[in-house]
Amino acid sequence: MAKNRRMRPLSDSVLMEGRNVWTVNANPGVAVRGESLRKFRGVEHRRWDPNRSKLGAGILRTRNNPSDLLPRPGSTVLYLGAGHGTTVSHLHDHLCGTSNRHRGRLVAVDLAPRCLRDLTHLAETRKGLVPVLGDARKFDAWGVLIPSRVDWLFQDVAQAGQVEIFLSAVRRFLSKDGIGLLSLKAASERHQDGGDADIFAAAIEQLSDEVELIEHINLTGFEDQHALFVIRRR
Amino acid sequence: MWLWYSWQSAAVVNDDGDVLDIEFNNARFSVHAAKDRLQLVANGHMPPEAVVLSERFPDAKPTAHGSDELPDFDLPQPTDDQIEIADQAALLLAKEGVAVSAADPNRRLEHLLRASEELRTLHLTMEARLIEWVGLFLPSARFDSNRSQVASQVQDVDSLSEFAALLDVEDAYEQPSEPEWKALHDWAEMVSNQGRQLDRLEHAIRLSAQNHLPSTSMLVGPLLAARLCVEAHGRSRLARLPSGTVQVLGAEKAFFSHLRSGTAPPKHGHIFMHPWISRSPRWVRGKIARMLASKISIAARIDAFEGTPLTKEDVDQVEARVEAIRKEFSKPPGR
Repeated sequence: MAKNRRMRPLSDSVLMEGRNVWTVNANPGVAVRGESLRKFRGVEHRRWDPNRSKLGAGILRTRNNPSDLLPRPGSTVLYLGAGHGTTVSHLHDHLCGTSNRHRGRLVAVDLAPRCLRDLTHLAETRKGLVPVLGDARKFDAWGVLIPSRVDWLFQDVAQAGQVEIFLSAVRRFLSKDGIGLLSLKAASERHQDGGDADIFAAAIEQLSDEVELIEHINLTGFEDQHALFVIRRR
Repeated sequence: MWLWYSWQSAAVVNDDGDVLDIEFNNARFSVHAAKDRLQLVANGHMPPEAVVLSERFPDAKPTAHGSDELPDFDLPQPTDDQIEIADQAALLLAKEGVAVSAADPNRRLEHLLRASEELRTLHLTMEARLIEWVGLFLPSARFDSNRSQVASQVQDVDSLSEFAALLDVEDAYEQPSEPEWKALHDWAEMVSNQGRQLDRLEHAIRLSAQNHLPSTSMLVGPLLAARLCVEAHGRSRLARLPSGTVQVLGAEKAFFSHLRSGTAPPKHGHIFMHPWISRSPRWVRGKIARMLASKISIAARIDAFEGTPLTKEDVDQVEARVEAIRKEFSKPPGR
């Protein structure tokens, strides 16, 4: 069965197999959220569920090279709105690997103590993951953990003004030519007459003013009312 | 002139990005020392290195690392060791923050209240089953008046015949088997324990609400105060809500149905529980609800900003208003 499917490595630790994405489990034997584990060529992989991870969905949906959405293994990246750590765990598989063999750093910020509880548990077994309990907008409180600009930044915060928060984070933390991903939840923005399409159109305009918009990925089907924007800092 | 600082170093930079002075601490910090420094910076203070520089350059504007106001300059980079220690410290800080979040009375009140809601639903279902179950065997028994005592009565007897004798009704024609009776007896024991547990939960809710929401509790009772606070997602949010929202809190279904399809708007949500509203004639309930909601808003704001709590006299005044409304509209409106 697996033989018929097209296997396509996106990086050392990320594998695309047909319509499934798998990452090499940095903490073998343990599934973070009950996702399936499977061995490919003797190495245990975890399935990256696109219904639970907007980055995972983006990798499946993008019209460009999916590996362009991922950071360089071993780099320092910033993740705003880390939630319970589903996406974060797969990102960690790719960025850090077992016992952080790539020497990456994944700074994951979230406001909710309930989310941080899960993230700190995750950080116990995954070296390189740095959970931060703080407001994604209050850069001064945790910005010292990012000594130099990062090449990759992800934001998934469900609150009004997501685009402004993203742009100020990009200004402050993203290096020139660095890649930023914004997961925009239309329902969190103030209601507009044209509905979600108008909210996304306004976001595109606002982003294009300041950064180079590479792609607008519609996540309908995986996550309704959501879109993923991929940008490059000019 | 800028005074740039991070958690272990600081530098004075002029507008052209020339570094005029630098204090770089390349020490190997302990995780706890690093944690203290991260916390210092997070709270908007400067590390000792920056304090030293600010004395040397009083005109330099202190600016935390990363601000876009800063000119571009070669930042002093922390050592790899220091980054690793900072990461461990950040993890420690996150764990501490998570542990401290248990101090939030809003979260604790929510668990108490939801637990009591869930237990009450379960209790009522199980009690109904118990009464049906016993009634199957003792068709001549009537439980209408003492439903809540059935559980403890069954718990205290050793057989169904004994229970029939206690109730002074005909013994069962068809007796349950021994294991069947045991199961029924266990069931009764659970129902009876649930009653006690519910009392305990409500006692805890009362104490917690009187502490956390003294004014609102004084005005509408601790249980309703707790419910409103939980439904509003916390005390400070309850204080920020307009009183029109407080009035219909808990009637979301009716409210949004009103917005969507123009059905009649709800006049009251959870506050209907209060006897001033539920014991009033139908046609004044909306008026009283509106008045009471505005008083609750005031009380919630007193609580949120920890002002002087409302007293019995204040509540008496509100009650007088309720009476006045009832009196003014003592007759149902004509058609």
